[in-house]
Amino acid sequence: MRLDIFTMVMFFVSFFGLITSRTIIKSIVFILIMQTSVVMFWLIVGNMHGSLPPIDVYNIDAENISDPLPQALMLSAIVIGISVITVSITMFNNLFRKYETASWDHMEKVYSNEGEGEQ
Amino acid sequence: MIDLISQLLPFFVIVPIIIAVFLYVFSSKQMARKVAILFQAAFVVFAFLLLRQSLEGELLLNVGQYAGFLGIILRADYLAAIFVLLTSVIFLMLAIYSLNNDNTSLYWFLIFILEGAIVGLFLTRDFFNFFVLVEVSTVVVTILLMYDVKRRNMFTGIKFVMINIVAMQFYLFGVGYLYMITGALDMVAIYYATQEMDRAQLVLPYVLVMTSIAAKTSMLPTLTFLPKVNSMLGAHTPVAAIISGLQIKIGVYMFIRVQTVFGGVFPEARQLFLVVAIVSAFAGVVLALAQKEIRLVLAYSTMAQVSLIMIGLNIGGLYSFTGAVFHILNHAIFKVALFMAAGMIAHRYGTGDITKVRGLFRHSPVIAISTALAVLGMVGMPLFNGFVSKYFLAYDAPLYLEWIINVINLGTMLVFVRFSAMFFGRPNAVISESDSARQISTFVMGAACLVIGVGGVWIMRFLFGLDVEFTAAEVAEKCAIFLGSLVIALLVYRLVLAKHEIFIRLRGFDLSFKMLCASIGVFFGGFLLFL
Amino acid sequence: MNIPITEIALSLWVVCAVLIVFTKKMYRIIITFGVFSLIGALSYLFLGSPDVAMAEAAVSAFVTIFFIVCIERYYKFGMGLEDEQAEEKVKFSAKSVGRILAPTGFCVGLFWLAMQHLPMDDAVTVLRDQYLARFMYDVGGMNAVASIVLGYRVYDTLFEALLLVVSVVAVAHVSWYDKAEMIDRRHSEIKNSGVARFTMRVVCPIIIIFGAYIIANGHLTAGGGFQGGLAIATFFICRYLVYDINDLPIAKVMRMEKLVFVNITILPVLAVFTGVTYFATYILPLTSDVYLVAMNILIGFKVACGFFVLFYRFVAIERW
Repeated sequence: MRLDIFTMVMFFVSFFGLITSRTIIKSIVFILIMQTSVVMFWLIVGNMHGSLPPIDVYNIDAENISDPLPQALMLSAIVIGISVITVSITMFNNLFRKYETASWDHMEKVYSNEGEGEQ
Repeated sequence: MIDLISQLLPFFVIVPIIIAVFLYVFSSKQMARKVAILFQAAFVVFAFLLLRQSLEGELLLNVGQYAGFLGIILRADYLAAIFVLLTSVIFLMLAIYSLNNDNTSLYWFLIFILEGAIVGLFLTRDFFNFFVLVEVSTVVVTILLMYDVKRRNMFTGIKFVMINIVAMQFYLFGVGYLYMITGALDMVAIYYATQEMDRAQLVLPYVLVMTSIAAKTSMLPTLTFLPKVNSMLGAHTPVAAIISGLQIKIGVYMFIRVQTVFGGVFPEARQLFLVVAIVSAFAGVVLALAQKEIRLVLAYSTMAQVSLIMIGLNIGGLYSFTGAVFHILNHAIFKVALFMAAGMIAHRYGTGDITKVRGLFRHSPVIAISTALAVLGMVGMPLFNGFVSKYFLAYDAPLYLEWIINVINLGTMLVFVRFSAMFFGRPNAVISESDSARQISTFVMGAACLVIGVGGVWIMRFLFGLDVEFTAAEVAEKCAIFLGSLVIALLVYRLVLAKHEIFIRLRGFDLSFKMLCASIGVFFGGFLLFL
Repeated sequence: MNIPITEIALSLWVVCAVLIVFTKKMYRIIITFGVFSLIGALSYLFLGSPDVAMAEAAVSAFVTIFFIVCIERYYKFGMGLEDEQAEEKVKFSAKSVGRILAPTGFCVGLFWLAMQHLPMDDAVTVLRDQYLARFMYDVGGMNAVASIVLGYRVYDTLFEALLLVVSVVAVAHVSWYDKAEMIDRRHSEIKNSGVARFTMRVVCPIIIIFGAYIIANGHLTAGGGFQGGLAIATFFICRYLVYDINDLPIAKVMRMEKLVFVNITILPVLAVFTGVTYFATYILPLTSDVYLVAMNILIGFKVACGFFVLFYRFVAIERW
């Protein structure tokens, strides 16, 4: 069975979540799910020719070892993901204090009214 | 010498970052300013040396000297070196511009890191490294947009950062598929791997990567440009200038690189990009016509100009390609000059409203002259830089496309005819004087438009090695078209636009986050259907 | 018998995500997301990547805490509750059905299109074979992942560390409260519980030792600076439950983090970019191990500082 179809499904499930979620916090969760699905995809790519961890490789058959490069890249991707997500969560918290709502639509309404008031 | 310079390649990225951290931890405001100016000046010198060397031959560096494609390879060919030089010049000018601002060391920290990240983007040859640097630049730009605590626009800011993360997930997914089918991350290695590959294998990775690049370059129907522009209102002038002049070029640069890898495999994609770019150009013009705040006008006209560049890149001829690359440089220069002037106008009169600012020539001649020079460059007046690049951009185009480009240029003129009203009339009350550092940097950028225009042919020869010359008949034709469209623009403005604000409904046009995501999805689906 | 354990884990993983799509209550979303991350980390482990699994597990712990800190106000002050109620009130009508069917159709269409162009699932293993054959000689260590992160692709790792630094600055800057000092003077609810205090005294040293072990042996077994740093940072979560963290010097830690980052930048410049490790491995095999351990310790220290600051900001400032 092709494992990368799982990640393809996940990618579009999270995409569905992104275009339907009404609250900001849910959108952020779906971005995280999207990131996780991409990370999973890379690891599945690394796993296609063997699934043993690439540690202490001289005692095992080299044919069964998973690819270390996707793992190294995904370590970076996870750190990047959490850094960016943390910034978004902080911005959300700031907005939440200001507008007292978590909904995209409510916030948009309050925000656009505010903008017209300034001009 | 080549060896030495290519050994220095990673330091073009790392030194700004180290200096940034030291500035943030140790220095005071005064110190930070001096270090910034000195460093940027030195950086321009080094970037120029890099350009000199790379014109003789491509510079390569395998970071860590690991064999083959195991490590990350940095590359400085003429294209990358030109972009590095452009980045360094713009950052120097912006450093001079904000010389007397009361900026904290945090500001300089962010500016330096942004510079390092952008230079790194231009130098890298690795797809994953590119992803990392784009994310760094996105976060830094977000903080810079939110830098002014009082005026900042958090709601559009969160949309900006989130939509960029979503776009980059498409990119990472696509690079994953590329790694799976080619077993490499290096652009050159992938290029060689794709030569013998079945075309059907490459469709999905190409479309995924292109979707995120489309989101970065604001190709329709991805409207990710909107939150960026709308949060620009609360930002400092240099930040707005960097975003409009440089940050959007990252997408264009990546487009060029990805097309060199995949262009041979998918030659028909070019037609789609042409259509998309033409539509985006008109959309940009319409959106720019609807605005009355100077900065928003400039930002939306960036959308039109970038689409013009995309048209040039996708026509297919060597001259058009070179003209488009040259137009990237020119656009950065006049757009930065215009943003600087806009910042000075807003600072001086306390308003950035096109319909309110009047009498610039009498009251503040320096601002007026630099604005005028930059606008003339932008609309492609003969003898100015825009003329040279637009001339070559349309060089290889078939006749119908040439006329479309002319019409887009007419739209740009319409947008900037409105600027001319600011030059005359009764001056407004001055709120605060602008200092000489700002005036000098703005004027230098404005004058650069004229200088580059006059020496255009020579610069083309020096940078791109193209032996080009204007033929008198064609120049006369272009001048006639220019004058004709100027007259039309003036007439349309006087008769229609000045009386009825047709596009007023589009002012403040914005999409919700869901719709922005959906627009990315539409591009993705449409592109897959097309291929 | 061969149990398809990876497939089972991945199916559960998809089910969790679909559950999140149809959940409306904030707390449930966050908790389901925690389960989702856990299953994800397990699948990473089954896919033969313990390093990534460790990182994901630790990261999801922090992300869950950050979310809960934000959501807490949602319920405590009754703010924004109308959003949830509005979502529950949606009635069954043609419009509401269309509102669900249109995006579903759109996403299914995109998925179907993507499936039409799916490349064959056969990964090219040129780079893998080269890495596995060479990494001990080129970089050293026993863990191929660590040697790629710290050796072959250290240039990426620099920017990854940089992004963490920038993100700490960003969180301080975009926060609603723009000073670095704490404002939370509340005590934890279980502060005076003797059982909690005793548990912490037992658990905390173990966490620290575990983190230090992961960092120091990152080049030999699974783990490394990033995972160990995260493990050490979880120590502060435990400490916050029982003691306050107001007595910790936040400004100094932030400053320290940046200085450590400078070291992280300079060390590879000296060691890798100039090719010193490359030659040294042949002459003095020990130098490469020294370099790897030093880098792991620096990264671990930096990540621990960075996540401490983030956690601190969230519980002491964002939560207030």
